[in-house]
Formats: sequence, C-alpha cells, structure tokens
Amino acid sequence: MNALYLAFAYLRYHWARSLVLTLVAALILFVPVATQILLSTSERALVARGDATPLLLGSRGSQLDLTMAALYFSDERPDPVPMHEVETIWDSGLGIPIPVHTAFSSSGFRIVGTTLDYFDFRDLTASEGRGLSMLGDAVIGADVAETLGKGVGDTLVSSPENLFDLDGVYPLEMPIVGILAPSNSPDDQAIFVDIKTAWVIQGIGHGHEDVVTAAEVAAGSEAVANAAVVQYQRITDENIESFHFHGNQDDFPASAVIVVPNDTRSGTILKGRYLDSENPTQLIEPAGVIQGLVDRIFRIRSLLDVVTTIIAVAALAAIGLAIFLSYRLRAREIATAVKLGARRGMVLRLLSAETITLLSLSGIIAGLGAAIVSRNADAWVSWLLALGS
Amino acid sequence: MTILRTFRTLFAAGLILFVAGVAMAQDRPRVVAVNYPLQYFAERLLGDAAEVVFPVPADVDPSFWRPSISDVSMIQSADLILLNGAGFAAWVDRVSLPRSKLVNTSDAIEEQFIVTESMTHSHGDGGEHSHEALASYTWLDPTLATSQADAIAAAIVSRGLASQDQVDARLEILREDFQALDTQAATALGALEGTDIIATHPRYQYLARRYDLTIASLEWEAGAMPTDAEIADLQALVDETGARILLWEADPPDAAFEITAALGLKNVVFAPLAHGVEGHSYFESFTDALSEMAEAGVP
Amino acid sequence: MITVENLTFRYSATSFQLRVPEFTLQDDERVAIVGPSGSGKTTLLNLIAGILTPEAGRIDVAGTDVAALSDAARRRFRASTIGFVFQDFALLDYLSARQNILYPYRITPALVLDAEARERAEALARSCGIGDKLDRHPAALSQGEQQRVAICRALVTQPKLILSDEATGNLDPDSKSRILDLLFEQATEAGAAVLAVTHDHELLPRFGRVLDFAQFREEADA
Repeated sequence: MNALYLAFAYLRYHWARSLVLTLVAALILFVPVATQILLSTSERALVARGDATPLLLGSRGSQLDLTMAALYFSDERPDPVPMHEVETIWDSGLGIPIPVHTAFSSSGFRIVGTTLDYFDFRDLTASEGRGLSMLGDAVIGADVAETLGKGVGDTLVSSPENLFDLDGVYPLEMPIVGILAPSNSPDDQAIFVDIKTAWVIQGIGHGHEDVVTAAEVAAGSEAVANAAVVQYQRITDENIESFHFHGNQDDFPASAVIVVPNDTRSGTILKGRYLDSENPTQLIEPAGVIQGLVDRIFRIRSLLDVVTTIIAVAALAAIGLAIFLSYRLRAREIATAVKLGARRGMVLRLLSAETITLLSLSGIIAGLGAAIVSRNADAWVSWLLALGS
Repeated sequence: MTILRTFRTLFAAGLILFVAGVAMAQDRPRVVAVNYPLQYFAERLLGDAAEVVFPVPADVDPSFWRPSISDVSMIQSADLILLNGAGFAAWVDRVSLPRSKLVNTSDAIEEQFIVTESMTHSHGDGGEHSHEALASYTWLDPTLATSQADAIAAAIVSRGLASQDQVDARLEILREDFQALDTQAATALGALEGTDIIATHPRYQYLARRYDLTIASLEWEAGAMPTDAEIADLQALVDETGARILLWEADPPDAAFEITAALGLKNVVFAPLAHGVEGHSYFESFTDALSEMAEAGVP
Repeated sequence: MITVENLTFRYSATSFQLRVPEFTLQDDERVAIVGPSGSGKTTLLNLIAGILTPEAGRIDVAGTDVAALSDAARRRFRASTIGFVFQDFALLDYLSARQNILYPYRITPALVLDAEARERAEALARSCGIGDKLDRHPAALSQGEQQRVAICRALVTQPKLILSDEATGNLDPDSKSRILDLLFEQATEAGAAVLAVTHDHELLPRFGRVLDFAQFREEADA
C-alpha cells in the first residue's frame, strides 16, 4: 500500500507526464483492439448480408458487380436483366423473386426500385410515415433521413442521368412517405421506390401532362437550359391517371433479382437451370462472392496486423525509454531511500507500482474505448461500408 | 335492479360478440378482387374460408378507379390480390402491391385478347408512339371466365387458403355453371347472327367474338341521358349498319329509351358486370341479359 | 552510543583508505567532525549507519555490532535507530512536507505509520516553525524551511543517533545557526546523540567535542 501511495503521489505530481504516458499506452492498446473489433464486425456485417441473400439472378458478367449493386447498392451497374426472368422464377414456383433496380440516385443516395416483397424479406419497417403505396412514393433509410435532414412530407428529386439518352426524360420529384427504422445495413442508406417508379425515372413510364412541359423546354428556350434550371416531372393527384408504361412489362429492366428459394431443394433446382454458360442470365450465391471479398480484406488485415505490431513495439520501446529515463532522474530519491533504511526491493516495488498503475489506467481507458467501439461497431461499420459505395 | 342486471348481461354478451367478431375478422384471410366477376368466382371457390373484397364503390367505374392511400394499404395487407389483366384496372400500375400476393387471372388467355384501336400520341420531340389498347371485359365470354376461375382456384390452393379437395369440388360445380351459361348463350344469341347491334359503350367484344355477334360501339356514359349530338351519332350509325338492337350498360332515364325506340331500336340493358347487379349473381345477371337479348332478337 | 575500534575501510576501485583506531560517542554528546575534503568524513558516517561495511574492525552503535548484521537487519536497524540529515536536504519533490516527514515509514516494514507517528510529525513541524506549511511541496518552501522538513524527517522515527552530513552547508549564515540550534534542541528533546560533519568552523564552539579527521588521514598515509 505504501508503494502504491508513493507511486500515486508521484504520478499525480507529474500529472502531465503521466497523462501522456497513459494516453500513449492506452492508444497502443486501443488501436489494435478497435481495428480488430471493426474488422470482425465488418466481416460479420458483410457475411450476414450475403448469408441473408440466398440467391441473386442477373445478367452474366462480374459476380462481384452484381452482388455489390444488389446487396450494397454500390455504383456498379450490371447489365439489366429483363423482368420476364422474374416471371420465370414466379412460374417455377420454386421461390420468390424480388427485383431491384439500382441505376439511379438522388442527393448521393441510391434509389432502389423494388417490390413490396423486399421489405418483408429484409424485415424493414417504417419508423415514421407509411410504406410505398402510390407511384412516385419514396421510403428512405434512416441514414438518408438523418444526413439530408428530410422527413415525411418532404420531397427528393432523382439525379439527372444521361444513361439512356431519351428525349423528354426529366428527373422525377418523389414525395417521402416513410422513413425506415435503422437496420445497420446498406438499407439505411437507400431510397426505396416501387420498381415502377424507377421505370418512370428511366422514361419507360411517363405521364402526359408532362409532355407539355417537356415540349416547352425542348422547343426551346435556350435560356432555360443555359440557366441550368432543373426541370423535373412530378406525379400529382391530377396527372397520376395519365402515367402509363410503354411496351411489355416483361421486357422492362431490373439491375438484379434477389431470389428466395422455398427450400434447399428448390434452390438447387433453380441453380441447375442457370448453369448453362450460353444463358444470358446467371444465378449466383452472394454469400460465396462476399466470402471471397472478405478473404481479400483479411489478407489485408494480416498486413495491418504486422504494421500494428511494429508500431506497438516501437511505441512500447519509447514508453520503456521514458520510464527508464524517469528512473534515472530518480536516482537521488533512490539513494536517499537507501540511506534512510529502505527495505530491500523497495525501489523495485515503487517503480513497478508506478508502472502497473500507469498500465492499469491505460488499460481502463483502452477498455472503455473498445467498449464504445464495440457498442457502436454495427452503426460505424455500416457507415464505413457505405463509404465504399 | 333487474333492469340494470339485464342491461349488464346484455352488455357483456354484446362485448363478447364484438370481440369474437373482431377476432374472426382478423383471423379470416382476405382476398381482394379488381372486379365483381373475380370476386364472385373467388367467393364460389372459397366458401367461408376467406373474405373476398371488391373495394371499388358502386358509383365508380372499376376500370378507372383511383384507390386512396387507405384503400392501398388495405389491399397491400390482403392474402391474395386477383387481377383481371387485359388492361383492366390501370390503377394497379400506379400503386405498389406485393408481387407475391398478385395473381393475374388472364395469364393463360393472353393469346385470346382482343386488340382494339391504337392510340397515338407524342412526347416532346421524341416523335410519335402508340399504345395498343386491349378489350378488358374478358368475363363476358364464359370460356375465358372459366379459365380465369381456374387461375383463381390454383392461386387459392397454392396459397393454402383452402384445401385442394374442397376447391376442386367447388371448381367442378362452377365449371358446370359456365358450361351451362355458354350453352344457354349460344342458343339465345344464335338467332342474332347477322343482326347488327349497337352498344352504347365498347364493352362486349369478347361476347361478340364468342357468339358471332356484330356489335358497333358508341362512347356513351353509362346510365346518363344521351345528348343530342350523341343521338345524332347513333342515328348515323343506325343508318349505316341497319342495327336493330341497342345495348345499354345500365338503365338510362326512360326518355332515352323512348328516343332510341323511335329510331327503331330495341333497348336491352346488358350489365357488363364489372360491378355486380344488386341482388343478382354473375350467372343470374348474365342469364337475364341473354334472355332480354334473345327476346329483342325476335322480329 | 558509538564505539569504533581498529576500523579500516577501503574502496576497492581507488587507493582511498580510512583507518580509525578508536572513536567513541556518548549517549547525549554532540560531536563535530571536521577535516579536508576526501578525508573520509562521510565514509565514516556511512560506516556507522551500516550503509558501508568495514574491511576490519568493530563498529558498535547503541549496543549493536553493525558490521555483524545481515544486510536486511542493517537496513531495519538504520531505519529505526538512526536519523539522517543531508546537505542537499534530499526531500522528494512530489510529496508534501507532511508526507516527506513521514517518508521513512513508507519505505520500510521496520516502522509502522500510526496515528502517533502522524501526531509526532505534526508536533515536530510545529516546534520547527513549519506547522502551517505541511501541505506545501518542497518547491514552495525556502531552503531553511526545506532543511527544517529534513530535520523533522530525521527525528520523527525517534532515533537514538542523528547523523548530520553538512546539514547547514547550503544555508546562509543566519539560517546556519538557527538550524543548528533547532537540531540540537530537537535532539535534546528526543534524547538523541548528534554526530555532524561540518565545514562551518564558526559553528564548532557549539559542539561538545570536535573530531579532526586530519589525524586519521595522517595515520592512513603512514
């Protein structure tokens, strides 16, 4: 106790030095732990999303692009898959196909056109407002609401796209009718609309009242174009009747189709049907694709571990040096203690009490930090993963 | 005291009934149909197994109905949503419905759809494009209606709303009714072959094709008094075709009958049944209309 | 109190050699040791305190043969029997005056820090005129005050012998005599003998006896 008393008195008197040493040691302990927590949470989050998405149907091409677009709403644009593929799955009776259309965005967030089955499948519920009802309705993820500061009753305008190079296609203004409860998944960063609304944005569907607007703008005033006035269409009570789709809905595009097979057997049968490499569509298991991605991340992680180790060794050496120097500075105190009859080992006890106190404080701080990271890991990881898209 | 006790007993009984009613209402699956015939077929096939809702108010044309938000959420929560297809009820394209609950009852008869006139219009300077319009009142051909009933039966079974055996048995009876209706229609309308008919609204394409009728159509509003211009159009059409029968969707004011009778036309009210006729089933209404037409066909 | 006989000591690494044929100190004596630098004055104090052990000869302090004790026993003996006052005060900057006085209790199991010890520390400080400065750290005390704290530290354990190594060396002339007075006063109070190394010849008359180290040096040289 006496050794601890003296150690504490010493540390308190030299509080600035103690603080720096404590914080540095805490950081050295904290950084690898926090990295570990975040990485394993990322892995869990990534793998969980993959595992929760049994099968994915899309155009033949990069499986990673398809997975990233359909599961994480990334910028990848896999070739569209026609809706008759969705009907084919329905007709097979082997599973539920859920199309997702992720070609558009608004205010930096992906617009995800899908069907109501998606919300049931992902177990998403509105924390405010209601679900999708009318053409043009948008339901936004929790992060979108927070970032844009928008709520039920506000509107979003889709970003203008030159993708399809269609005349008379203007961005669509969509009323926000609901906000989803946070799910710590990419769904928090998405703007959900009915896939039919996505087709309206794409110009496959349109309303006739807008023809006038479009014609006016096209006819002409250059000034309008030059002044960069944003023209957009809006679905209103008055014009909703005039909205209609051109062509056969079976040919309309989706970015990918999530397929939820009824059971393992159905899944196996379905996979068998898309094995032919001549088939323009492929049916993949996102979990496998994600696992590949995670494996790659974890190869980077082992590199990170080495870097962390090197830094930790260097930093510990620095701390050791600092402690050693402070011991040297205390040579006189030690001499005095000896002359006053200090017990054998007193010096060692004193110094170890100090070191232990310092490390315990660092450990507590690092532990608190790790607890905070661990508690928020899900939210932070979903944010981190969203950064990549 | 006695009064109070009686009142209390009654209240308690009422409460129990109310609660039971609510519980039953919640427990019973809900099927939504976009027109009366689908509702009727589904009810015939389901018995008491589910509540079949046709949400369109009686005074609104189901083809052009616009559901409110609360209508949409009621429909979204249904266990089964029966669509007619063939372009009927365009509103389904403008609302979000759970695809897993949707059944298009006319999927199997797409090949037999009747294409009506094309509408052409243009958007911006994107040039003209056209819409093909489809005749939607498929159920006025009993054979197509049979196919739609088959689709409903399959959907009911696959969603577990009723047992296969029960549905099969009910479908068998329903099919016999369609058979009988078809036979009756063939007989009743056989005499009208070669007789030109005018309809106040283009609703009867499938009926006409099935029974070799020649029906020209106007675009009158159901149940309304025709305007002078409309009468003039009718006169012109009568002169051109020599039609002798005029089909009405619903009873117009009596004066309208007098005017058209004066043109030498026999007035027949043939409800196209998108809405049911109060107090009459699909088969009853259809049969009534057939006898009226047969009667009108007698010179 | 102290009996030294035929003491010899040499540092192995140097040619320095100390020889003390005989030296005694009575129980209540105040003896000053003078002599040129390097003559071994401090070495003698260290030998008496058991910090150094002699090559040969006997050192008896308060009836204990110091050289014959084990290292641990010597440390305990030193802590409980001897009070040290140093020229540089040797206070710990991170402890308050009070805790500096109580420092000996914190570094050895031979002493038990109890309420009595704390009261003694308070009383000593009061009688040394620093009773109101006990919560200050050394940096906030004057040189004289610091030495008073050091004296309190030497006396708080109620030693039988006080070894003073140039205790007044760093003080101004006024302070020197005041501190020496204080040291003698407190030693008398506690009934302790005082053996002091000093260079301050003007203070010598206050001592009962003066031991000149030059004689030992000569003997060593011879």
